[in-house]
Amino acid sequence: MEVEVIESGILLPTYLSFKRVQISEKYPKGQARSRHWKHLKQILQAENYTNCPPNQPNYVNIESPPSTYPSKKYCDITGYEAPYTDPRTSLRYADADVFKRVRGLPGDYVQKYLKLRNAEVILR
Amino acid sequence: MPFVSRPQRQHDYNMFPSNCPIVIDNGASNFRIGWAGECDPRLSFRNVVHRPRHKTTGETVTIVGDHDPAVMKYFDCTRSQHRSAFDYNVVYQFENMEYILDYGFERMGAYGSQVDHPILITECACNPVQSRSKMAELLFESYGVPSLAFGVDAAFSYKFNEQLGICNKDGLAICSGLNTSHVIPFVGGEPLFEACCRTNIGGYHVSEYLKQLLSLKYPYHMSSITLDKVEDLKMEHCYVALDYGSEVRLFQNGAKEAEEKTRCWQLLWVRPPVEALPSEEEKARKAANREKAAQRLKEMAALKRSSRITDLENELQGLEFLLQQLGNVQENNVESFLSQTGYVSKQEIDAAIVRVTQSLRKAKGESPEMKEKTEQYPLIDVPDSILSPEQIKEKQRQAFSKNMSEGRVRAQQKRFDEELQREKQNQQDEEKRLENPELYLEQLRAKHRELTEKVEQRKRLKTNDNQNLSGGVGRGERLNAAKKEKMRLLTTAAFDKGKGEDTFGARDEDWQVYTVMGGNDDEGSDWDEAELTRISSRLQDIDPTFVANPEAGSFQTITEIPKFRPLTEEDFQIAIGVERFRCPEVLFQPNMIGVDQAGLDEMCGISIRRLSSKNHTLEERMTSSILMTGGSCLFPGMAERLETDIRKIRPFGASIKVLRASDPILDAWRGAATYAAAPQFSMQTFSKQDYYEKGEDWLRGYRFSYT
Repeated sequence: MEVEVIESGILLPTYLSFKRVQISEKYPKGQARSRHWKHLKQILQAENYTNCPPNQPNYVNIESPPSTYPSKKYCDITGYEAPYTDPRTSLRYADADVFKRVRGLPGDYVQKYLKLRNAEVILR
Repeated sequence: MPFVSRPQRQHDYNMFPSNCPIVIDNGASNFRIGWAGECDPRLSFRNVVHRPRHKTTGETVTIVGDHDPAVMKYFDCTRSQHRSAFDYNVVYQFENMEYILDYGFERMGAYGSQVDHPILITECACNPVQSRSKMAELLFESYGVPSLAFGVDAAFSYKFNEQLGICNKDGLAICSGLNTSHVIPFVGGEPLFEACCRTNIGGYHVSEYLKQLLSLKYPYHMSSITLDKVEDLKMEHCYVALDYGSEVRLFQNGAKEAEEKTRCWQLLWVRPPVEALPSEEEKARKAANREKAAQRLKEMAALKRSSRITDLENELQGLEFLLQQLGNVQENNVESFLSQTGYVSKQEIDAAIVRVTQSLRKAKGESPEMKEKTEQYPLIDVPDSILSPEQIKEKQRQAFSKNMSEGRVRAQQKRFDEELQREKQNQQDEEKRLENPELYLEQLRAKHRELTEKVEQRKRLKTNDNQNLSGGVGRGERLNAAKKEKMRLLTTAAFDKGKGEDTFGARDEDWQVYTVMGGNDDEGSDWDEAELTRISSRLQDIDPTFVANPEAGSFQTITEIPKFRPLTEEDFQIAIGVERFRCPEVLFQPNMIGVDQAGLDEMCGISIRRLSSKNHTLEERMTSSILMTGGSCLFPGMAERLETDIRKIRPFGASIKVLRASDPILDAWRGAATYAAAPQFSMQTFSKQDYYEKGEDWLRGYRFSYT
């Protein structure tokens, strides 16, 4: 290990005195650890909030509902207000110049713009 | 992220008594740790873990927080990425959490066999019990912490600001973090989680949106637009528009304010060294060199040719000599003689001689065809009846070759004639132009217009056929008159049982049916297009007012066609105009990203609605003290925007006051520190025995009281 690396103090030391179990013993090398941890969705499923009384707040309860305002449509490329939608690609555009650019986009760019809005076509 | 210097190891760990709590603000973006009662955290670093491999030794090391680019060159960072312990705002990956806590305690100077101080750690609102219990387990088991307390960071921030006098006892706290935003109402100083509201949009989504927009707009610079750089840009330049619609219209109309609001980011660009134009002598020298090279090549070619000629002549001589010898040799010795030379029979020698003479002639540059033409076709004129079968075959062959050569001559003649004709036409055109330029121009322009119309119409028909996808599949095709004709011909041809005499094929024009049936009118259109290009080029040459018609039929106006001109400084500038306020707008309208939840302004209304008691005065009091905390509320203009939006939801005349926390980023830690320093803190914590005796259900109901 180079001198300057040690001096900069960047690395985490492998042995720490205040720990009861060192991390290298806890997670021996060579095992795939990422599978041990449940992601948020699985945690919430395991919590089983349906059994709790509904007026008690829990992680799922406090989530906000969908917006009651009608969503404003904005142009995908420029960000202006977009009264029009391209029927072929379902991209939103603001006026004729933007439309020319929309029609000139290669296929993967179309999907990338739609992906910004979470509206891309997923083929499974 | 602006580079933060590495936190130094603290040396005063032993100066703090055992009951002094350590306060940790465990946020999704930053991890802050410090002693209770102080006004600033000792350490603050980014809450990520990086595990690269050392290049030479191959061992995997752990780096927590920001890393120093100078040192990183010793490590191979391709395989590893920055890993966070968080999923949205909940800790789920406790291995990374352990690395981070290790680092935090180590930098605080911890020593001894365990961390012997009570700990106050923050969590998200309504943290799932599993995450809470795992965290408690980690702290108790691995670090030997005596007692522990959990609190919500937004609440700490609110209480801190309440103590400072910025907000009142009843109010709303709007906390916008990295991944999520919360709105928490406070009644009587205590947060009411039953009426709390959370949207899964935060500063990360704003940065990500900005990054994607810039990358799509400037694909050439995609590699320079990294998330770190974009976060810097966001912190420096983004603002929240008071009314998105009117701001955007400013830009759309191209007003001068729009120009002023656009900021330009100049990427690193070095002007390539300009090559000096070659001077006259240089050019002359280069021309002389070229000539010399050409001369040399010609000499070499001539040399080769002459050597080849001499070779062939030698060969020819040798073969003739052989033939002579053959003639001299006696009959019975012929075979043995022949086998010596390597030729099987006399005919072969003859054939070889002919071949060599021909190649010799070619090498000497004489045209062999002339000699062939003088070949006689002696047998053609002789009638068939006299000849033997062999001779008949011979005659057919000669007739065939004669036809071929005549055909070749005829084709050449035709080409020559066509050229002459074209020359004549051009000359006539020129004369016409010279005598009456105006009229000529008019005629040319009219022809151009006609042809463009025809071509466009044909193109439109074609693309119309292609565009009728779902609605009228084949309908556009079927209704076309030409296609109708084709169909008619095909069906009649197919189903014609041959009633009556079949005289098809007797005349030449009958075969044209097949071209109509199967062909497209492409040949005609090609000719039209060629004419069109010819005429437009002529017009461009002579007509000063002619503007080349842009390709109306093709929609291929790609703005990023790499025009072959030298790159200038402007190419390396990234203009950020609309994006400055388009990206933070996501916080207020999550629909722009496709997240189907309420924005910050609506969340306040929802939160007030969720309060159990419909107390108008209470709601009044709440809206008159709305506090913004969290890193993502630092955008300029956010307070005004929130005020106008909340005014839309509240009844007329309600008092609305939006305040910003004194330090939105550090206030959570500071609030937690003041709480930990208070004497009632020891009653809020739970110890290891409590945890083991009472179990998980008790932990579910554990709540920090903030008064």
